[in-house]
Amino acid sequence: MARISARTLFLLPVAGFVVLGIIFTIALMTNLSGTAKIDPLPSILAGKPAPELPSQRLEGTGADMSDPLSAYAGRPVLINFMASWCAPCRAEIPALETLSDELVIIAIAYKDKEADLRQFLDEYGNPYASVWMDTDGAIGRRWGIYGVPESFLIDGDGIVRLRHAGPVFSDVINDILIPALEQM
Amino acid sequence: MLAFAEIGHLALFIALICSICQTGLPVFGLAGRYSHSQFLAISRLLQLLATLLVIFSFSALIYSFIVSDFSMALVASHSHSAKPLIYKISGSWGNHEGSLLLWIVILVLFGGLFAATSKHLPDRFSLLTLSVQASVTASFLAFSLFTSSPFERLDIAPLDGRGLNPVLQDIGLALHPPMLYLGYVGLSLAFSMAVAGLIEGNISRQWGQWVRPWALSAWCALTLGIALGSWWAYYELGWGGWWFWDPVENASLMPWLAATALIHSALVVEKRGQLKSWTILLAILAFSLSLVGTFIVRSGLLTSVHSFASDPSRGVFILCILLVATGLPLLLFAWRGPTLSTRSDAGFISRDTALIINNIILVMATAIVLIGTFYPLGLELAVGQRITVGPPYFDATFNPVMAVALIGMAIAPVTMWKSGMLAHARVALIVAAIGAVVAVAIGGGAGVADNAAAMAGLALLGWLGFGVLADMQKRLKFHQPASILARIGKLDGAIWGVWLGHLGMAVFMLGALGDGLGRQEQTIRASAGDVIMLSDRQYRFIEMQQNQGPNYTTRTALLALEELDGTLLGYMRPETRFYPAERQTTTEAAIRPRISGDDYAVLADGDDEIGYSLRLYHKPFVSWIWGGAVIMAIGGLIALSARTTARRTSTNIKQTS
Repeated sequence: MARISARTLFLLPVAGFVVLGIIFTIALMTNLSGTAKIDPLPSILAGKPAPELPSQRLEGTGADMSDPLSAYAGRPVLINFMASWCAPCRAEIPALETLSDELVIIAIAYKDKEADLRQFLDEYGNPYASVWMDTDGAIGRRWGIYGVPESFLIDGDGIVRLRHAGPVFSDVINDILIPALEQM
Repeated sequence: MLAFAEIGHLALFIALICSICQTGLPVFGLAGRYSHSQFLAISRLLQLLATLLVIFSFSALIYSFIVSDFSMALVASHSHSAKPLIYKISGSWGNHEGSLLLWIVILVLFGGLFAATSKHLPDRFSLLTLSVQASVTASFLAFSLFTSSPFERLDIAPLDGRGLNPVLQDIGLALHPPMLYLGYVGLSLAFSMAVAGLIEGNISRQWGQWVRPWALSAWCALTLGIALGSWWAYYELGWGGWWFWDPVENASLMPWLAATALIHSALVVEKRGQLKSWTILLAILAFSLSLVGTFIVRSGLLTSVHSFASDPSRGVFILCILLVATGLPLLLFAWRGPTLSTRSDAGFISRDTALIINNIILVMATAIVLIGTFYPLGLELAVGQRITVGPPYFDATFNPVMAVALIGMAIAPVTMWKSGMLAHARVALIVAAIGAVVAVAIGGGAGVADNAAAMAGLALLGWLGFGVLADMQKRLKFHQPASILARIGKLDGAIWGVWLGHLGMAVFMLGALGDGLGRQEQTIRASAGDVIMLSDRQYRFIEMQQNQGPNYTTRTALLALEELDGTLLGYMRPETRFYPAERQTTTEAAIRPRISGDDYAVLADGDDEIGYSLRLYHKPFVSWIWGGAVIMAIGGLIALSARTTARRTSTNIKQTS
């Protein structure tokens, strides 16, 4: 009996290693097939009132107003941090144009120049209800963005409901934005 | 000269063939028709050849980086013609492919060193060891050649490279990987010797003697490598911390803990012929954990600041290596291990028992780090929830376990093999206890009496420091300086390894506790002219300066560090650098290192209107953390040289008699 238990003892390292090996293999396989479902990092802003917004509007975009949100009180709005120098921001324009039929989209141009921005809108299209300037990036810092494009969904009461880092494509609209809008 | 890289590439293929042949040699050699010594001679030759070929190949890679050959994909993406020479060279291992080749270089270097120095070992054992080592080499050569060749060419060579990442141009970062690899890969030889011993089915007491120098040298390198990484994080990242329990840090700590256990248990094998199977297991685990570390860094399984190569197909390859290189030896161990068991004849109070307790604790600590590192991964797979395991877990589990080890570190050196304690043990332990009481009293006076963990830490620090010093005093008699040299001459040199190793730990603890308990920090928004108090000194914010660097612009806060009465201690210049070409901002902390503690200032965002955000720290004794690691490594080196001298003397005696 004692002999058998000694054998079992010596098999323990193998057993421990097998468990680790299985975890590694499964982890690698799920990584490979891209099916790993990971909760997106929640924004610390979620559930809080929207931080400060810029006051300088790009002339010719939107009606004459002094701040981005007041005209849309009671309606959800998508705040889209973008820049003319950013390639993914060009890529998301077509999807945003589709989305603009259902949702007001407001652009905040992060560290951008007016002339570049106008050229960008002429060339790639303008899905935005209005475009606002964050020339020195101070507003972006207040919102805690870590790059452009990055989007925030604001509900009718001015509360941040959702943050999405990266370009908005049709899958983001269907899987994330529309469900979030339906919940409001 | 363009073909230099192609020859290097070819050399790797030939080295792979050499290693495969070398792996297979014992199959014929042990069949018995020819003598082992003939096969061993061939194996040594192949090892030497593979070593030279891989070194040549690595030189070819470094050469391509030095001359900025941008037709090579690796050089084009990781170098730049404007880089200083030293960072061009270090750039060759600052990426996945190149660092893998460096890993192989160290693997064959250790193999070659073993081939050259193993003349006094039994032929059969040497042959098997070289074969196991060659099988590991062959796996990694195949990994390099078939999934991540460093010698890929580009069809169109770019005009200049893309690798000018400013964060990576740093001397600490240039030296950290080679040192760490020296440790990781050095453990491969202890592993090969363990597997060779298992195949033979017979572990002699000499086996402990053979394996210890290799384990010791790897342990020294690993200690320094981890310390370098921690030091880099401290001064470069600007967070003021020195250890973050990041998965990759844990991955280097696990082999270190296992190797620490190994260098202690191999001693028991050598001196007493005990703990054989256990030591074999440790040798296998230490290297396996190094492989696990390599795996998680390179597969991108765990997200970390270090994940520089997250390519899943590479992950599969290295997972296969890990499964075979760990699974087979562990099965072999399950089969052969029980026959190696010996019944202990030692008394409870003995060095044998002390070292067994040491081993149990270190393995527990390894398991704690292992669970803390991989539990989040398992949880994420099981329920899809992402969590992080951080300092609270490790404080609650790792620290208490290590506390027991620290108690033992003052006791074990004054015990005797088999049974009993040295004559002066009682005095040494009483002094250690007094040290603990004094440290607690100092802590109580400094106002941390309500923090139980801190008081326990201080007590352990006093216990260990005074215990080791008392042992030194008893044996060296510092109060009779005239004859001290004679006493040193008579001492076994290895005792210095014990003293420095254990004293280094105490020094490390002093740093860790000093920083952990006495750290003062303040985050504040300030403008020029403000005076900020921090503990017993003050920062006077003089002005903001804008400067132009070679390829960046800086914003520097000029701060005068003063005593509270206004006496100037020095100027601190924390800065942020903006690299326009890379659109990257880096933070350069201002550090004023002193033995009594560091002053540390970081400049974050801000402007003249709202003020600048400053983070200011005073960190007592923090440098002692790395000083302690260096002392530990020196202790290891002394133990190593004491061993080689002893062996040479004993060989000489054998030859003359």
